[in-house]
Formats: sequence, C-alpha cells, structure tokens
Amino acid sequence: MNSGPTLFLGLFVAMACSWLSFVLGPQLQIGDMRPTTNIVVGASGQIYPNPEPGLAHQGAEVYRADGCASCHTEQVRPRDLGSDINRGWGVRRSTGYDYLFDQPVLLGTLRVGPDLANAGRRMDAAAVLLRLYEPRALTPGSIMPPSPFLFDKRKIQGAPSPDALQIPGPFAPPRGYEIVPRAEARALAAYVTSLHQDGYLFEAPPPLQPAGKTNAPAKPATNSPAK
Amino acid sequence: MSVTAPAQSAPSQSATADIEASCRWPLLALFGGAVLWLLLGLIFALIASLKFHNPHFLYSQSYLTYGRVRLAHQTALLYGFAVPAALGVGLWLLCRLGRSPLPAPGVALIGVILWNIAVLIGVAAILCGDSSGFESFAMPGYVTVILLVSYLLIALCGLLAFHRRAEGPLYPSQWFVLGAFFWFPWIFSTASMLLLCLPVRGVMQASIAWWYAHNFSSIVLGYFGLSSIFYFIPKLLARPLHSHYLAALAFWTLALFGSWGGIPTGAPLPSWIVSMGVVGAVLTAVPLLAVFVNFYHTARHNVEALDAHLTLRFTYVALVFWLIAGMQQIVGVLPNVSALTDYTWFSVAQWELFHYGFFALAMFGAIYYIVPRLLDRADPPVWSPGLVQAHFWPTFFGILISYIALLVGGVGQGFLLNDPNYTFAQVTRGTLMALRADTLGDLCIVVGTLFFLLNFALLLSRFACRRWTDLRKGAA
Repeated sequence: MNSGPTLFLGLFVAMACSWLSFVLGPQLQIGDMRPTTNIVVGASGQIYPNPEPGLAHQGAEVYRADGCASCHTEQVRPRDLGSDINRGWGVRRSTGYDYLFDQPVLLGTLRVGPDLANAGRRMDAAAVLLRLYEPRALTPGSIMPPSPFLFDKRKIQGAPSPDALQIPGPFAPPRGYEIVPRAEARALAAYVTSLHQDGYLFEAPPPLQPAGKTNAPAKPATNSPAK
Repeated sequence: MSVTAPAQSAPSQSATADIEASCRWPLLALFGGAVLWLLLGLIFALIASLKFHNPHFLYSQSYLTYGRVRLAHQTALLYGFAVPAALGVGLWLLCRLGRSPLPAPGVALIGVILWNIAVLIGVAAILCGDSSGFESFAMPGYVTVILLVSYLLIALCGLLAFHRRAEGPLYPSQWFVLGAFFWFPWIFSTASMLLLCLPVRGVMQASIAWWYAHNFSSIVLGYFGLSSIFYFIPKLLARPLHSHYLAALAFWTLALFGSWGGIPTGAPLPSWIVSMGVVGAVLTAVPLLAVFVNFYHTARHNVEALDAHLTLRFTYVALVFWLIAGMQQIVGVLPNVSALTDYTWFSVAQWELFHYGFFALAMFGAIYYIVPRLLDRADPPVWSPGLVQAHFWPTFFGILISYIALLVGGVGQGFLLNDPNYTFAQVTRGTLMALRADTLGDLCIVVGTLFFLLNFALLLSRFACRRWTDLRKGAA
C-alpha cells in the first residue's frame, strides 16, 4: 500500500460497494414506487396512498422548519420489534408506500415524544393546536416545548374569533384576550391530522387476532395523561 | 514486522520548519474557527438540554425552539468544529509525513474562510427555519454548494502536497487521511444531490439520510480521528507501530463494513437493506479488534508514559472511547437489543461518545501538538499546563456523565416504552432524570472548552508579544 493510485483504487471499490448497496440498489428497487391497489381490506378500486390536501403539504414545511422530527418519529415498527403496535401507534408496520407523497421524508431517529405515523387517527385539529400552544394543558408534566410563536394573542373586539383556542385552566389568556392560530399553526395541525398509515397492504397485513377478539386497533394510551 | 515510527529519521530542521510555515495560516484559521464553533455548538446543546428542565425556557421565539436549536447544535458541531479540525490535522499529517510543504496555502486559506462563512449562513438558516430537516445534514441546499466548493479548495491542496511527497513508503495515518479526504465529497455530494437538489421519492430519502449520517461519522470522522491516533501514539511513545498489516486490516475492513448501515432495524425499507446494515455493523468488530491489538502491543511496555505527554493523554483516551463507542454500536444493532434501544437516548449516548469522547479528544490532542509548532518550529511557545488540566478533566468527566446518563436513561426508556402498560407520559417522566444529568455533563464540557479557548488565546498572544519584542530589538 505504498502507491497512491492503488490506495485510491481500493478506496473507490470500498466506497462503490457501500454506495451501490445503500443508494443505487434501493433506488432501483423502490425508487419508482407507485401508489398501489394492492389493498387487503376494501380493495374495490381503491388506491393507497392518496395525496394529502395542500394545507397539509404547507404544514409539512412547518414540521421541517421547526425541527419537529428531532423528537418525533413517523414510523411504526413491526409487531415483533418493540411495542409500537401494542401502544396503539398503528395497526400495522410502516411500509415504503406510506411516504410516497411526503416531501421531505422525515422519519426521525429519536422518540422524545410519541410516534406520529398515525397521529391523524388519534387527534383532531383542535387537540393538535392546543398541544402546540401549551402541551401541558392536555398532558400535565409534558416536556414538549410550547410554540406560542405560531399563535396571535389578540384583544377580543366585538365577537370572539371562531378560530380562537379553547384553553382550559391556568393556561387560558387573560380576560378579554384570545389566542388565535396563525396560518403556520393551522397548516401544521392540518399536516399532523393528515398523518395516517392504515391502508392494509399485502406487504403489511392487519394482525391476525385470535377468535373472540375484535380487529379494532388497541386503545391509544399514548397521549392520555398519566394516572 | 515492526516498522519505524513516523519521522524518526529526522530531516533537516530547516526543511521541517518550511513545512510548518507553509501550513501556518490555513491551519490556524481551521483550528481557531473549529474551537469557536465547538463552543457555539456546545452552547446550543446546553440551551436544548435546559429545555428538559423547564419547557418554558427560551420558548417564546421560533428561532430558539428545541427542534431548531438541536439541529443548529449538530450542524455547528459537525460542520463548524469536526470537519475543519479534521481537515487541519489531515493537511498537517499529509505535509509532515510526506515531507512536502503545503502548496498554495493562500488557496487553502480562501477555502477555510469560505467554509466558515458557509457554516455561519447554514446555522443562521437553520435557526430561521430554513433547515433541510435531516439530522447531520440539516443545512439548506444553497449552503451545501459553497461547502463542497470550499472543501475541494482545501482538499486539493492536501492532495497536491501528497502528490509531491518526498517520502516514498506510506504510513497508516496517510491512508486514513486520504480515505477520509476521498470519502467526504462522495457522500456529501450524493446527499446534496439526492436529498436537496433532485430529491428522491418517498422512503429512499430516509435511507440516504441514514446512510449519509452513518458514513459521515463512522468513516470520515472515524478515519480522521484514527489518523491522529496512529500518528501520535507511536511517535510520542517513541516506539514503532506494532504492525502495518493489522493497521491495513483495520483500514480496509472499516472501509468495507463500517460504511454499511446506520439504518434502524424496524425501518420501513426492504429487509435486505436493513440486514446488510446489521451485518456490516457486526463485522466492524474486525477493525475494532485489529486496532486494539495493534495499540496494545505498541504501548504495553510503557503504559505509564501514556499519561506523561499531554497530547498522548488526550489521544489514548480518545482511542479507548472509540473502542467503547464501536462496541456499543455492535451491541445496538443486534435484533433483541435494537427492539429495545432503537429511537431511544441509547443511540444519542453512542453519538455523543463517538463525537466528543473519541473525535473531539483526538483532535484536541493533535491541536496541542501541532499549533505551537506552526507558530515557531525552532522554539515553540508552550501551553499553560494548568489550563490544559482544566480543559482535560471537566471535558473527560463531562463526557462520562453525559454518556452514562444517556446510556442508562436510554435503556430504561426502552424498557418502559416496550411495556404498553406504561403511558407515554410515564415513559417521559422516567427519562427526565437522565436528561437532567446530561445537562450537567454538557455544562462540564462547556467549562473545559472555555479553558481550552483561553489557553489557545493566551498561546497566540504570548507568541505575538514575543514576535513584537523581537521586531523591536531588530529595529533597535
């Protein structure tokens, strides 16, 4: 190994191995995935996934900009790996199909907060907005950072705004004021409520339940406050 | 089988002085910038960490929200500190081991300045909400272009110095530096191209982002750190490296297997990709073992000398941390373990140990050796020994505190998460203690780094004073 060219040739081969197997190979296999009709339940002409509404796409940009993926994953692991499904974070494992319309695709690497792959099935927009404004209003002791910069605190003039948050208890604004979500907050809430991965695919069928049990997803224990 | 330690057959003093002088300005700029970025990155880490004590800490402005600060912290650390420090050590090793001065130091200096401006824009963009969102690759596309250009300016000078080397046979440190020089632009351009310019579709993005982050740390930073370890331990112990063959084995197996993986076991990707990553990670046991045996035999006859020299102390502690981080990575990909530890603080603990414990310490050791010689080869100014101690111990204990806290916290978090009877709020409460201990560790590292910065500034000012007196004497 005393000649530069030999060294570079060897490095090139090693690098190429890694690149071919982790970039080019997967790209050839799943890079041009299309929405599928390969659905187990309700297969009559349905395709999965469906594009999300435009507001949700704008919300994905807010999700990216504020680094939400630092604490939240968007992927459900298979039943034999971890308790994702038993926790009610999903009814099946995530597959490549679930991300076809996402841009950017931020799966996350750390679960400081709960997984959001199926957040749209657990929360409505009002709950998401309230969590964004003051997470502790719904989950006492939550360590999620509040994001008041996504909201306007306004003096109520005339009738209160129909969009104003209904904030319980100690976090409510002073009398005569209201908290109204800005466009970013509404987009982010639309994005989070659009998240769902529940088309049953052949690749990831619904779990087989023993007779007598229902096929319903487990009770979502994730966001309920501690007892 | 033994080979001579680097630069044992001393060349003439003046030739070495020329080499050091040619490197002076680009390397001082690289190291100075790196230390400042390190401090900034650590302060971001501290802000992020303090939010676990109270989520209402600095919460009202969007640019200091946790997600943005964490990405800014990683970016400042990886691109502000790690890459410039590594390039500085790499350039110096290539010049020194090849016995050739750095060609076109002005071009390299321009590259360094451009690089630092680009990182500054990148960190500001992240705080303003213009990040790409990918961990370890959070800077927006327009910044990655400048980074790539300035990297090429710097690296080409290094390659030219390597090409014009006077010394024929290559020393292992040179392989490692060249490997990293070559690897970085490849993965960086792949990631910029396929994540930012022409984004690939769907889950491929996640695959490439994981692959990039893994290669960036394990191979690029790993190679740079190892190059410094392979140079300084034999040289300062004045013992030949035990075996070139073991070094070559470590080098090639790390290139082959260390570059696979970084993908969590349950990822929504075809399972062969995940399996390859697991296999690759397990096979990195080979380079770990090769490096361990090599240095065990190199150093076993004068272990007590390891603590005598300040560069050596940083360097061998870095080596030990590299081995631990490597072992943790192997354990962490085993299916039964990864079911427990994926997506928990366990992997953050490994990240911190690798980047602070191994990489940063290896760089500090090298900087302590290189910088005084850059300033004045014949009569190097000396570091203040008290401040070196004040740098080492807080940093060392800070790394240990953070690592152990996150490791224990991560495993605990994994156990709680895997039991659906615990609500998520209970899981969170279970990890809080570990996260708060981690703040203490971060604080220690910040204190150590402040002393390092002070020492660096004092060294420069002492040297400047000496020059000034010399000039005055010359004039009189």
